[in-house]
Amino acid sequence: MKRFILPAAIVIAVFMAFIPGFASDTMIQFWINALLLATLAQAWNILGGFGGYVSFGNSVFYGLGTYGTGIAMATYHLPFGVGLAIGVVLAVIGAAVVGLPILRLRGPYFAIATLGLNGAMLAIFSNLSIANKNIGLVLPLTRNDTMFYELSLGLLVLCTATVWWVSRSRYGMGLIAIREDEDAAGTMGVNATLYKVTALILASVFTAVAGGIHAYWFTFVDPASAFDSTLNVRMVIMCVFGGPGTVFGPVVGSFVLSAVYEILAAQISTAAALLFGLVIVLAVIFMPRGLADVVGRGRALSWRYFVRNITENRL
Amino acid sequence: MSAQPIPHDAAPKAGRTVIETRGLTRRFGGLVSVNNVDLVIAENETLGLIGPNGAGKTTLVNMISGTLAPSEGEVLFEGQVINDVPAFRRAHLGIARTFQVMKPFHGMTVLENVTVGALFGRNGGQKNMADAREKAREWLEFTGLGGKIEINADSLGGPDRKRLEFAKALAMEPRLLLLDEVMAGLNPVEVTEVVELIKKIRGQGRALLIIEHVVAAIRSLSDRIMVLHHGEKIADDDPATVLEDPRVIEAYLGKRRQ
Repeated sequence: MKRFILPAAIVIAVFMAFIPGFASDTMIQFWINALLLATLAQAWNILGGFGGYVSFGNSVFYGLGTYGTGIAMATYHLPFGVGLAIGVVLAVIGAAVVGLPILRLRGPYFAIATLGLNGAMLAIFSNLSIANKNIGLVLPLTRNDTMFYELSLGLLVLCTATVWWVSRSRYGMGLIAIREDEDAAGTMGVNATLYKVTALILASVFTAVAGGIHAYWFTFVDPASAFDSTLNVRMVIMCVFGGPGTVFGPVVGSFVLSAVYEILAAQISTAAALLFGLVIVLAVIFMPRGLADVVGRGRALSWRYFVRNITENRL
Repeated sequence: MSAQPIPHDAAPKAGRTVIETRGLTRRFGGLVSVNNVDLVIAENETLGLIGPNGAGKTTLVNMISGTLAPSEGEVLFEGQVINDVPAFRRAHLGIARTFQVMKPFHGMTVLENVTVGALFGRNGGQKNMADAREKAREWLEFTGLGGKIEINADSLGGPDRKRLEFAKALAMEPRLLLLDEVMAGLNPVEVTEVVELIKKIRGQGRALLIIEHVVAAIRSLSDRIMVLHHGEKIADDDPATVLEDPRVIEAYLGKRRQ
């Protein structure tokens, strides 16, 4: 079954490129959001899933991407491409500057350190006059959802291709070794600091581009929505739900969760958030290793798998 | 000892110095774990390191492999001081170790575990995945795990985990191999198997440091034996001399002799 996954994924990606030809406007808008979220989850997967470092700072790169595009287009009237490039440069610098000191911390300490970053960036951009302080920026309006859809799809494909390369490369083996035992990886010759920082930088590139696309599509940027730590929580949830450290898990996981949320919101708007939370709790209890692990078991899967997960977690 | 006596091999000819420590000391608060230890191992030479629990053997190995910084003294690899060289770069120089508490990479198969060693070992290892896998396969054959390469490392039993530690370290093609209690917890038959494995490794030009509690095994494998007691070196000589030394017997063997 494993060798059919890659061809199947390519067929699905090609098919998805034609969706704007027949889908409704609402459907395309749903997909733009879902594709961008999937990119965020997939980018988070590089350091979080393969390297085992839970980052709550990825939303900072998203914010830098949105502001790179926002400032370039709204304040300086530069083209969209230049805005994306500025966002990426800002995010890469941010990842390197933040990563070098913080990635020396292990496990929960790293996670806690990254939590503070959103607040710091929020305060900075709320007082930056080229970013129009806390009022935010209005970008030029472009009504072309098909373009935004294709850009988002292209970015997700690129990000997934990168993760696919990571999963079968020397670089990826180093990251996995760090995840499983960082000290042992070090004594075997893995330059852990270099690997972790480059993983964070790689993630920051895709995250910033996703932010830039969203800013131009949404035509509005403000500090609170750009540096939103709940967005980071969603990246983590979607990646873990789908299967961290796998190539297609985060993509499928975020598509499924986006759809579930959309359906819940349409049916019962008031209790949607509550039920969404319930879905996630149940998912973590019954399939802690994500959808990819469930699907990967194929025919060997039975109800015992779910029972075993419960007993292993001593619930 | 209940195991059958293991004959002592003729010592291979020792070459130039691979690893040396000078006045190596490590303090943990008020406790001096390793105190002013000088150590030399040449290529093709095997040094056995013994001493009671808490004598500082693993601390010494940690300082050589780079996971712990010395409080005082120097570590020299092929004549160069490497005190400030981080652990991963020491691996690139050619220092490999096994861990007393075995550390397989849990999410990986046996082959993948050893492939990490081949990918990142001496001189930065193999850059090509296929080459690294091939090399990992060869070392798995060598250590007797050839039939279990696709198994998840977690499902291996105790003795096979020891073999895996060996294969991981050997795939790094080290110049210096530090073996930290690779026989602990094995039954006499398994000990004999590991001894045979180490004998095969000895003939390959490396410097070997073996920490061990099984005296019969270490006597047969070592060219020299060094004894640590409360962090201090109390003996460093050929096995027969050391194991007859009254201070050594008092410090360590006296309690264990039957």
